[in-house]
Amino acid sequence: MPGKRTTLEKLWKIKGFKPNVNQREAILHINGPLFLTAGPGSGKTRVLLWRTLNLIVFNDVKPEEIFLSTFTEKAALQLKEGLRNLLGLVTNETGKPYDISKMSVGTVHSICQSLIIDRRFSEAGTRKHPPVLMDSLSQYFKIYNKKFWQELWNAGGFRDEEAAHYAITTYFLGKEINSRHVAVTECIALFNRFSEENLNASSIKTNDETLKALLKMYQHYRDSLQINTYTKEVDFSLLQQEAFNTIEKFAGSGNVFKHLIIDEFQDTNAIQEKLYFALSKGSKNICVVGDDDQALYRFRGATVENLVEFEQRCHDNIGIKPKRIDLDINYRSRKNIVDLYTHFIIQADWKNPKKTGTHFRVYDKVIKANSKDTRPSVIVSTKDRAENVYVEIAQLVLDLKQKGKIHDYNQCAVLFPFLKDSTRVEGFTAAFENLNIPVYAPRANSFIEVDEAKAVFGLFLKIFDRPHYGNTGSQSIIKFRNWMIECIGIADNLMKEDRMLKEYVNDKKNEVALALADYNLLLAVVKKKRWDLKTPFKLAMIRDFSDVPKLSQKAKKNLTNSYFKKLIEAKERDGSPFSIEYIVARTTSLDWTVLDLFYQLNGFRHFRDMFLLAEDGTDEGPVCNLGLLSQYLSRFMDQYGTLLTASFLHEDKFVKVFFASYVYALYRLGESEYEDADDPFPKGRVPFLTIHQSKGLEFPVVILGAVYKREKPPDKKEIIIRDLLNKEGEPLDRISQFDTMRMFYVALSRAQNLLVLPRYTHGSAATEIFKEIFENYPLCTIPDFDIQQMPIAENARQDAGKSYSYTSDYLQYTKCPRHYMIFKKYGFVPSRSQTMLFGSLVHKTIEDLHHLLIHERKSLQYDN
Amino acid sequence: MITDKEIEKRLEEMFAQNYELLKLEGGHALTEAGQKDAFNQVLYYFRKLKEVAAKVTDTEVKLTLPDQKTPGNRSFTIEGIVDIVREDDEVWMYDIKTHDPFYVESNKHLYEKQLNVYAYIWENLRGNQLDHTAVISTVLPDALKEAAIANDGNRIQKELAHWKPVINIPYHEKNVKDTIYDFGLVVDNIEKHCFAPPPATVLDGKISGTNSKFATRICRNCDARFSCSSYREYAIKFQKGTTANFKQYYNDYGTDGEQEEFINASINLNKINIIPELPH
Repeated sequence: MPGKRTTLEKLWKIKGFKPNVNQREAILHINGPLFLTAGPGSGKTRVLLWRTLNLIVFNDVKPEEIFLSTFTEKAALQLKEGLRNLLGLVTNETGKPYDISKMSVGTVHSICQSLIIDRRFSEAGTRKHPPVLMDSLSQYFKIYNKKFWQELWNAGGFRDEEAAHYAITTYFLGKEINSRHVAVTECIALFNRFSEENLNASSIKTNDETLKALLKMYQHYRDSLQINTYTKEVDFSLLQQEAFNTIEKFAGSGNVFKHLIIDEFQDTNAIQEKLYFALSKGSKNICVVGDDDQALYRFRGATVENLVEFEQRCHDNIGIKPKRIDLDINYRSRKNIVDLYTHFIIQADWKNPKKTGTHFRVYDKVIKANSKDTRPSVIVSTKDRAENVYVEIAQLVLDLKQKGKIHDYNQCAVLFPFLKDSTRVEGFTAAFENLNIPVYAPRANSFIEVDEAKAVFGLFLKIFDRPHYGNTGSQSIIKFRNWMIECIGIADNLMKEDRMLKEYVNDKKNEVALALADYNLLLAVVKKKRWDLKTPFKLAMIRDFSDVPKLSQKAKKNLTNSYFKKLIEAKERDGSPFSIEYIVARTTSLDWTVLDLFYQLNGFRHFRDMFLLAEDGTDEGPVCNLGLLSQYLSRFMDQYGTLLTASFLHEDKFVKVFFASYVYALYRLGESEYEDADDPFPKGRVPFLTIHQSKGLEFPVVILGAVYKREKPPDKKEIIIRDLLNKEGEPLDRISQFDTMRMFYVALSRAQNLLVLPRYTHGSAATEIFKEIFENYPLCTIPDFDIQQMPIAENARQDAGKSYSYTSDYLQYTKCPRHYMIFKKYGFVPSRSQTMLFGSLVHKTIEDLHHLLIHERKSLQYDN
Repeated sequence: MITDKEIEKRLEEMFAQNYELLKLEGGHALTEAGQKDAFNQVLYYFRKLKEVAAKVTDTEVKLTLPDQKTPGNRSFTIEGIVDIVREDDEVWMYDIKTHDPFYVESNKHLYEKQLNVYAYIWENLRGNQLDHTAVISTVLPDALKEAAIANDGNRIQKELAHWKPVINIPYHEKNVKDTIYDFGLVVDNIEKHCFAPPPATVLDGKISGTNSKFATRICRNCDARFSCSSYREYAIKFQKGTTANFKQYYNDYGTDGEQEEFINASINLNKINIIPELPH
């Protein structure tokens, strides 16, 4: 009851947590910089949570004085939920409430956004204008836009577009490709890297002509983002720079936070490191956590050296060497698995030849298994042709299931370096499906290749028609055209099977045609009367429009209803009358939007069945995809307008913008193989994941689909940056091997009970190091493996318990479980009804209002 | 001293910022009509309840009840957010809702249970004083909405005066255990994937204590009704619908007023007037 005191030990006991010596030391450490190396499965998240709790509850640090960042939204959510849960426990013990809503906890991007407008970083405590954030798709659309792209290559001094494409693609890829898409994608990657390195384009000197041009283009891009004195657009990379500039400008920045805790530090980039050191200059309390052996994000500008050299860099930047603690006991895997991956990682030569005695990894940490189970837990297939290896492994999975060693196929993951267009993925899929084991490979294709997307887009194409390209030599456009034709074929079949659907599609098509006809009639009136479309509309003009012969009933009704008249009168009275153009658009707009259309199409049998499958939990896959589709449609509407007016439909404008531009971009950008995976995975299926997606996850059984990755030449961007900024780092000719080692290290360390490696005889069979291991390291083969000795998989651990809200969960579910499922669980974006976003927006703004009023009242009292 | 006009200006800014932020976090947008509707709720909350808003002492207080167990033995945490007004000797707890006041009024028992749980956390676990509890529904009544759209100052004043957004919830601290048990049942159902809609008979029936049908009040505001087996059954069976009027079934965009309002809020010529281009 209230007033009671508690201790960490008491709380640990309640939670059943028994920290080991190093974990305990890390949790209790509160003064000065701290360097936590955290091996796979070493209980890192728990340590972070308890350390934060210790600061707040037992050391009087206010939540808003803590900065706690991590890499993904999902990890951030876990930290927030975990912390609320533990603090709630404390409150119930002691009666003292804790509020972490003002705490800077989240991904670095979300924290940067709030830092920029944080009053604590300005002299007068004023709130600043936040920049408008473009996500990566918006950034692509901005630069890809023909007009803007022309501005850019003009700024770069290129003769024409083709010359720009040739120069840029040759520079980055070593071959001439006349493709705006390719040139733009390369430029975006370079621009982002420039921003993350905080590079000042105008001060850079270089003799390389192409690079000179690219720097000018970058400068032009940067200038274009300042929309007016107050408003600035930023992309994700510039957001971080903007935050860094904000805190650099304010002298007291190093003391705003008393503690910084940075998770996944191996994946930080240059500007983030600057930001963190700047924020901890005063307090000196910076705690970084990470594992250099699991660094995966170099291609996004991450610099693993930030972690490997943290002890030195911390000293150089804030003047103190950090205390280092190794979280080195693995609680996840059986002993043989831990032994294998610790052996694996040291097979590469990590020595730094330039500085004797130093390495390109944190060399002296030793990961130990907590498990004493020394029975075989890493097994290899028989050495054979790929087809036979697939079959042998699929059979093993079937046996594991039948002998009860796994309860569900989703406890067994197959990991690949990449999924898209992989013959290994195809081979394994066939082998599993032969045994009637379904697989789940969401990222094997681009999103718009999934059946649900093809069906919906196919019906859209039937209603609006498709863009026509004539004779084109572009392979990419030909592929996209074929995709559209395939979608139309699917739609034709659906309409054949469902007469009502056919009728519905025809009705919609007719409505489009009617709106266009009305539009032309009204424009003819405008022309005849010699009106200017931009001039004010007068009430008297209603008749001129509504009396046009052949005008549709619907348009007439739109023009003559009393509501409309009142609106026009009110506008005229206000002195802000509508333009003629506006009235034409309004009169000829369709009743429905693309999202309305989507929801109505969902009402036909083909789609209805998908909802039924989800309602009792039989199969969630199709409805998940429909939900995603609704999000893409709402994005489109947000960018290009909600309403389908005839002026938008006119001259194929809509068709071009929607299909030829928007959907085409989705098609080409595809879904990245680095996206987070949805976890937990659908029941009843073997998940196929990229190794990047598997980061941070664990599975009772892990199968590596491939143990080979082609070495790549060093990334051009890396070469440019090192050259321009005089930076050192891992030798350029070693980077590819290092990255491959780290990637497979992540894969090997995901397994809890059993790790299965394939031994192929042909093709890209294995990296040299895997070959060496297959030759000399003692490993059991599948035929010799005794399944009986293997422990039974535990069901996914119940975490701290999910949070449910009374309003948005309990009440919503009670009102209608299906509505809850669709909008809350699967994230459908509603067209007309209220959303979660709606509620959050109102609440957040009312909260801001209250803060404003509280602040006003306080300053008034102060004045008095 | 900041004037009301200045505050309303600030509201506009804060709203725009919050929208950008939340849009980014959630990865999706609101329609323009939705944005306007949301802003009006905030604006008229301020205009109507200035007195209350100015007295709030603790805003968006997060209440949590962790480590609960469902009947199916799953752990869960109950969360809620309230605003607190401490004034002289009295403490009020407000729960601001963006849903239909009509639904609140007709389901008072649900809100009673909810506020009882909140009160339990606030008083018993945290040892605070509490004297009154109420729900504030920020949804504007139709008449006020129409006045706002027509931008008719006199009518707005009149309708604003009629509006009763504060719904007092009788507050007695009992049945907390039962409520948590019920809550646990719902959590179990969610985790077990039970998401079937209520049967068509419920849709055809009146919402308890009201004169409105579930189907008209709830379903017609749900975009997913077209794919819903219960709504379909209701529309066919109870509405004597046949395949002949399935067009009406789909061509249902609410009342004429609602549709006008939607179109009115959604027209954005600047967005449409962009120059389209074919990629090459």
